[in-house]
Amino acid sequence: MADVLVGFCASVQKGDLVTLESSTLAAPLLRELYRQVLEAGAQPLPRIAIEGLTENVLKFGNDDQLDWVNPARADDIESVDVRINLAAPANTKRLSNIDPARQARFDRSAEPLRNRYLARAAAGELRWVLSAYPTEAAAQDASMSLAEYEDFVFGAGFLDDPDPVARWQEFGERLDRVAEFLATKREFRIVAEGTDLRVGTEGRSWIPSKGQENFPDGEIFTGPVEDSVEGEIEFTYPGVFNAREVEGVRLRFEAGEVVEATATRGQEFLREMIAMDDGARRVGEFAFGMNEAITMFTRNTLYDEKIGGTMHLALGTAYPETGGLNRSALHWDLVCDLRSGSEVYADGELVYRDGKFLNASG
Amino acid sequence: MRDPRYDALAELVLDHSLRLQAGDVLRIEGEAVAAAPLIVPLHREAIKRGAHCYTALDLNGLKEILVAEGSDEQLEFVSPIELRELDVIDASITIWSELNTHSFTHADTDRRQRQLTAQRQFAIRRRDLIASGKHRWCGTLSPTEGHAQDASMSLEDYEEFVFRACHVLDADPVEHWRQVGERLQARADELGSVRELRILGEDTDLNVVVEGRAWRAAYGRQNVPDGEVYTSPVETGVNGTIRFGFPAVYGGSEIDDARLVLEDGRVVAAEAAGGQEYLQSLLELDEGARGVGEIAFGLNYEIDRFTRNILFDEKIGGTMHMALGMGFGALGGQNRSALHLDLICDLRREGEVYADGELVWRDGEFLHDPQPARPAEHVG
Repeated sequence: MADVLVGFCASVQKGDLVTLESSTLAAPLLRELYRQVLEAGAQPLPRIAIEGLTENVLKFGNDDQLDWVNPARADDIESVDVRINLAAPANTKRLSNIDPARQARFDRSAEPLRNRYLARAAAGELRWVLSAYPTEAAAQDASMSLAEYEDFVFGAGFLDDPDPVARWQEFGERLDRVAEFLATKREFRIVAEGTDLRVGTEGRSWIPSKGQENFPDGEIFTGPVEDSVEGEIEFTYPGVFNAREVEGVRLRFEAGEVVEATATRGQEFLREMIAMDDGARRVGEFAFGMNEAITMFTRNTLYDEKIGGTMHLALGTAYPETGGLNRSALHWDLVCDLRSGSEVYADGELVYRDGKFLNASG
Repeated sequence: MRDPRYDALAELVLDHSLRLQAGDVLRIEGEAVAAAPLIVPLHREAIKRGAHCYTALDLNGLKEILVAEGSDEQLEFVSPIELRELDVIDASITIWSELNTHSFTHADTDRRQRQLTAQRQFAIRRRDLIASGKHRWCGTLSPTEGHAQDASMSLEDYEEFVFRACHVLDADPVEHWRQVGERLQARADELGSVRELRILGEDTDLNVVVEGRAWRAAYGRQNVPDGEVYTSPVETGVNGTIRFGFPAVYGGSEIDDARLVLEDGRVVAAEAAGGQEYLQSLLELDEGARGVGEIAFGLNYEIDRFTRNILFDEKIGGTMHMALGMGFGALGGQNRSALHLDLICDLRREGEVYADGELVWRDGEFLHDPQPARPAEHVG
C-alpha cells in the first residue's frame, strides 16, 4: 500500500517536502511510507496525532481557543509539496457528546487552512492524498472483523491485484472517458425512490478521481452551478459527520438552496450543520461513485462515496478545480444508492440506469 | 485511565516550569506512543489555562529508518518549517520518553551523529531564544517500560521513583520547588565567589578554575525533575584526573567507568572499561568535544540511584558531573561543540571538595548551609 500511495497516488519526487499525517495506530504503514518517501529522495515530515487532544479543546477550550489557527500547521500548508493523510481512528464516536455548536465553531477555524491547501492543490503547487489505515474502530463501524475489514480495504484499493498500479491506470482511463462524456452535458435529472432532482453543471469541470487525492478512489465529481439544484432527494445511507449519524435524510432544494431538511434520526444535528454558515445550505459537489470493488456501506465517506452505482451530493464547500464557487466550513457527503430502480437523464436523454452508464464509454 | 500523578506532573510543568499564561502558544514534543500518558494531561491542563497548545510528535522507528537508509542530504536535513515555528511559540515542552532506549545501538555512529547534529539546530536556536528571554522551555519524562528496564525496575516502581524525584506526590509541588529554588540560588551565589575547586574522590583529583563564572541554580524551570547547581568552567582551567563510576549513556550507547586526564582544559587521555571506542569517536566529533562545557553538583536527594537516564542521574544527590563539549554561553562558557556528554562522579562515599583551599563538601553533602541567601527569581 505504501508504494502505491507514494509512487502512484502522490507521485513523490526528489526534493519534495512530504507530510505524513496520521495517528499512532497507523504506525506500521507510517514507517513504510517514511521509508518509501526517503527512497524517492524526498523529505518525510511526520505529523503524528494521538487520541484525546481534539476532545480537550472541544471540552475545555474557550472561544479563542476553538477559533485558533495553529501557525505551524498553516506553515505546513504553505510550504509542503505533498500531504499524505491516513485516517486511523481508535474510536470514531469519541466526539459524539460534544456540543454541536462548539464543534461547528471549531470546524470553522479549520476552514482557512482547508481553503488554502485546496487552492494550492488546484494551482498544481501541492499534491495530497487522503487514505485510511484499517483499525478496529473502523471495522466496527463497518460491522466487520478487523481481518474482514482489512480484506475490504485492500480489495477497494485493488491491492489484491498482482499489479495494482496497472489496474488503477486502466480504471482511470475508463473514468476519463465517462468524465469527457459528462462534460458535454448541461443538466442532469436524477430519478430514484423518493428522489427527483435537477442539477445544472454547465461550464463546470467533471473531474475523474483516479487514485491521486483519495485512495482508494473511483468517482467522478463536479461542483454544480450554485443556484441550479431543484427538487427532492432521499439519501439511502446514513450521513456520518463528526462522529454523528443522521438517518433517512431528505432534502428539498429551491434555486440551489436547501429549503426543507428532514431525517428519521438526527434531524436536529442535520439542521444545525446546515445552519453552520451560508454555504452549508448549498451543494458543493455532485458526483457518481464508480468503484465496483466497493459494494458495502461502511460508515466511512472515503469508501462510501465511491460505492459503484451510487451518486452523492456534498453540502458545503466546493473543490475549486471544478469551477464550483460555494464556500463553507462544511463538506458533508451524502450518498444515494442508484443500483436498483433508478435513472439519470442528461439534457433529457437517459444515460444511466440501475447503477451503470448506458453508453459504451461508461 | 486518568492517573492523578500524571496530572500533577503536568500541572507542575505548566505552572512552575513554564509559568504558562492564557494566550500563550505552547508546543509539546515527544515520541507519540511513549509520551502519550503525559501529553494528554499536559494538553488538557494547558487548554484549561487558556493557552493554545499543539503537539509535534515523532513516532518510534522513524529516525532509525532515516539513520539506516537516508541519503546524506536527508540525514542532514533541518526542517525550515520547524525552525520558523520557534518564532511563533512562547513555550515548549520536550518529553524525552522512549519505548526502547537502545534502538540506535547498532546504528552507524557517524551517521547517527550527523542526524543528531542536524536535529540540534532546533535546540540551539531555542537555547538562544531562551537566553534572550523570548522563550520558556522545559524537558521532562513520562515513565515507560523501556526506561524502567534501564533502571532495573518494574514500571510501577519506576513511576514511583520518577514522581518522588519530581516531588509531585507532595501536598504542594510548586511550593516545594520554589523553596528548592531559594536554597540552590543561595548555593549558586556562594559558589560564584569561588576561584578554584579541587575535587577528590576515588581515582579522582581534579582542579577546576571557575573564577569569574556565574553558577546557576536548577530548580525545576528547565528540567523536571531538577536539583543541581552548575556552571561552565574556565576553558583552560581544568587539570588532573577524574574517574566516572557511573556509566554514561549518550545516543543510546554506554560508556562504562570512564577515566579522563585533562591538561589545560583539554582531554589528553581517555579510557573506559566499556565503550572505549565510542568515547574516542565522541571526542573526535569536533574541536570542542575535548573541552569541558559544564561542571555541576547533583543535589536532589530523592534521586538516590543510577537509572541510566541523564535527566535523573546528573541530579543524584551527592554527585558531581562534568560535561565534555558544549558550554553555557549565558554563564560565560565559551566552549562550542555538537557534543554535550555528561559524565557522573559519585562523591557520596569518598568525596571531598575544596573551594579555594577550604573543605566545603564531604561524603555527598555541602558542609554548611549557603550564606547569604537571596530569593530565587520568581518571574523569568
